[in-house]
Amino acid sequence: MYKKEQLDTCLSMLKRCGVIDASAIVTTEGLLIASDIFKGTDPAVFAAMSATMMGAAETALIELRKGHVNRFIVETSTGRLIAIGAGSTAVLVVLTGPEAPLGTVLLEMGRSASRIQEIL
Amino acid sequence: MILPTCIPKLDTLLSGGVPGGRSLLYLIQPGIDGSVFGLQTAVKNIENGMQGVFVVSTTHPSKVQEYVEGFGWDFDVIKDRLNIIDLHSGLTKAPSDAKHVVDDPEDLESIDATMTKAIDDSTGALLFFESLSTIMDLCGEERSLEFVHRWLKQARLNDCVVIANFTAWPYAEDTVARIRDKIFNAVVRVGGVGERVMFGQYYGVLRADWLDSQNERTLLFKVSRPGGVKVYIPKLLVTGPFNAGKSTFVHALSNASVSVDRLGTTVALDFGHIDHKEFSADIFGTPGQERFDPILKLLGGQALGVFLVVDSTDPGGFSRAKQMLESTKTYDLPFVVVANKQDRADAISVDEIRKQMTIPEEIPIIPVAAKEGEGVYLAFETLVDSIIQV
Repeated sequence: MYKKEQLDTCLSMLKRCGVIDASAIVTTEGLLIASDIFKGTDPAVFAAMSATMMGAAETALIELRKGHVNRFIVETSTGRLIAIGAGSTAVLVVLTGPEAPLGTVLLEMGRSASRIQEIL
Repeated sequence: MILPTCIPKLDTLLSGGVPGGRSLLYLIQPGIDGSVFGLQTAVKNIENGMQGVFVVSTTHPSKVQEYVEGFGWDFDVIKDRLNIIDLHSGLTKAPSDAKHVVDDPEDLESIDATMTKAIDDSTGALLFFESLSTIMDLCGEERSLEFVHRWLKQARLNDCVVIANFTAWPYAEDTVARIRDKIFNAVVRVGGVGERVMFGQYYGVLRADWLDSQNERTLLFKVSRPGGVKVYIPKLLVTGPFNAGKSTFVHALSNASVSVDRLGTTVALDFGHIDHKEFSADIFGTPGQERFDPILKLLGGQALGVFLVVDSTDPGGFSRAKQMLESTKTYDLPFVVVANKQDRADAISVDEIRKQMTIPEEIPIIPVAAKEGEGVYLAFETLVDSIIQV
């Protein structure tokens, strides 16, 4: 199977756990690799913004000598944005509803991230 | 006669296009939005006055119009010069008003009878196979290729140019090798992530028997609707000192853009997308203040070219501008200097800027008034030309 298909499969598997609304794999520099996002949203914007957030978090934490960022979580009244590193070159980002069980989401994301790392 | 492919930059790679009597295959990786390639070559040439024959096998012929118009191309212009060989309605038994209808598209002999007649009637025309893979799926790989070989030969005798789309599903290795290496005069590969590129989709010439030496250049692309195939540049960086007008520049250039702003100052990045002529690009703008320097390296990563925006009324910012090329780690990339605010009375001239910043002659400095949108596209075209260099 081609890598693109493998990555797409990875994202649809992730969706299958039922609590993830949208997801994307982006390079740490903000370029889109693969996405599974609802219509009307520009995946490229989503990619650029979330990678920059990850980068800014990374930079802020290094400045504060608090080590490497494992993940960042942003909460709003209608949901959460969660991003974790997938190897040194990619970031996995997902959107969930406000009620989604965080533990399950993080567990599933961790699995997917290591799978993505293998593929890339 | 040379037939242009009308795919951006591909004609340059093919020394002008496809010579009369030759054939070109678009070899498409599954999952890639590639069927537009053959269609674009076919439609654009028929628009320019060629006769065309479409071999339609994946969809009902009445859908062709919708498909063509989806890319913003005018079907009325081409319909009188277009004949369709219908290899689809025979399967569904739907009524068809195509000129040639093959009653049993699973039978190569009956396809052959129709094809032979159609090619004989269309000397000097463009013959377009919308999907060779579909024919092979229906009629068997090996035998289909025998017939394709025969049709190509006949097309050559009739001085037709053949354009075909082929999706490389997991066929027998021999089949793929044969179609890739032999049957056609030229093959253009349309592929995706993990082959030659880390992300996105690309195309490039795999071989062409009329070229002495082959250019292995590959180009990233995006499919726009409307517009068709565009060369895609995933990251152009816009940087420069505080208040030089970087965000204004990004917005003036973009068809759609987003900024992370606090009180009118960019704090993380500007992001814009532009479709202009045969190019499509994503643009990342950096903040200008020195306190954001730690994230500049991140924003500059994987960029392919840089717009260095300076305020022509503020020579005091020039040294900071050059320093920002360093901080974004992009000094070895192609860049253009955008001399912004040229509409202001106190702006200094481009030559003066070149002198004060000691910019070498080969680096272009473009006079721009981003607020009025003046010069922004010239800056874009100049930078893209120096990146693509095809």
